[in-house]
Amino acid sequence: MTEQPTPTVDDLREIAEQVWAAYLDPEGVRPFLVGEPGEPATAVSASVSLTGGWHGHVVVSCSSGAARHAAAAFLAMEAGEVSDEDMTDVMGELANIVGGNVKSMLPAATAVSLPHVVAGADNRFPTTRRICELSGTWLDEPFSISMWQGRGLAEVPAA
Amino acid sequence: MKILIADDSRVMRQIVIRTLRQAGFDGHEIVEAADGREARDAVLSENPDLVVSDWNMPEMTGIQVLGALRAAGNTVPFGFVTSECTPEMQNAAEAAGALFFIIKPFTPERFKEALSTVLG
Repeated sequence: MTEQPTPTVDDLREIAEQVWAAYLDPEGVRPFLVGEPGEPATAVSASVSLTGGWHGHVVVSCSSGAARHAAAAFLAMEAGEVSDEDMTDVMGELANIVGGNVKSMLPAATAVSLPHVVAGADNRFPTTRRICELSGTWLDEPFSISMWQGRGLAEVPAA
Repeated sequence: MKILIADDSRVMRQIVIRTLRQAGFDGHEIVEAADGREARDAVLSENPDLVVSDWNMPEMTGIQVLGALRAAGNTVPFGFVTSECTPEMQNAAEAAGALFFIIKPFTPERFKEALSTVLG
């Protein structure tokens, strides 16, 4: 069987650096600090599904405070000015950007779904396993980006 | 010029508008579409001078919009701003007549590079 390249935490880190440089920290003063998130980053969870040549999900999770800061950064507004709709939109777009970039590392026939955002609960994906996760803090708030692969197709060790 | 920006994310439409301005392309009239079908309809009703479109949208994808427009004989300058960036997609975009393919996350410099021939 041909071994398919699978995205790693280093790939997620590279994508995250581009996202932070473009939208969340263009001035380079509010970096994403990779490490222990401190507490589970499950207040807002956005995901896109990948299907076709590769089956799984890309998930961006963070606290509601981090989601609010993210929306403020995207919209060039103050954190207190952003709406819940803005937060949902931005989180979905973050998952879309990460998922779209991950797609370029996967088999050609892989398709990316529209984003799905869950607030107030953890996003769960039965019959998958987490293959890599980039977690840490942003502005002292927990933040994580993870990839989940359909268990039946997973052929690489979990990260 | 009139520019149609198509993206199902309102926030991303705002960022595209802001980035156009940061890239030096200000003073243009902006029209927005929140999905592919709206984008196709807006091209026909608004007659924009340029379409800047997401790829993955509800109702119709960006490449379906471009295909439908070209099939109907519409030749509006059209380019993509998308997070998906496989060679197959870039080839499909080029074959369908897209002028540029900007990958998210993007910078004002990338906009300037991709759009300077269209917007001057």
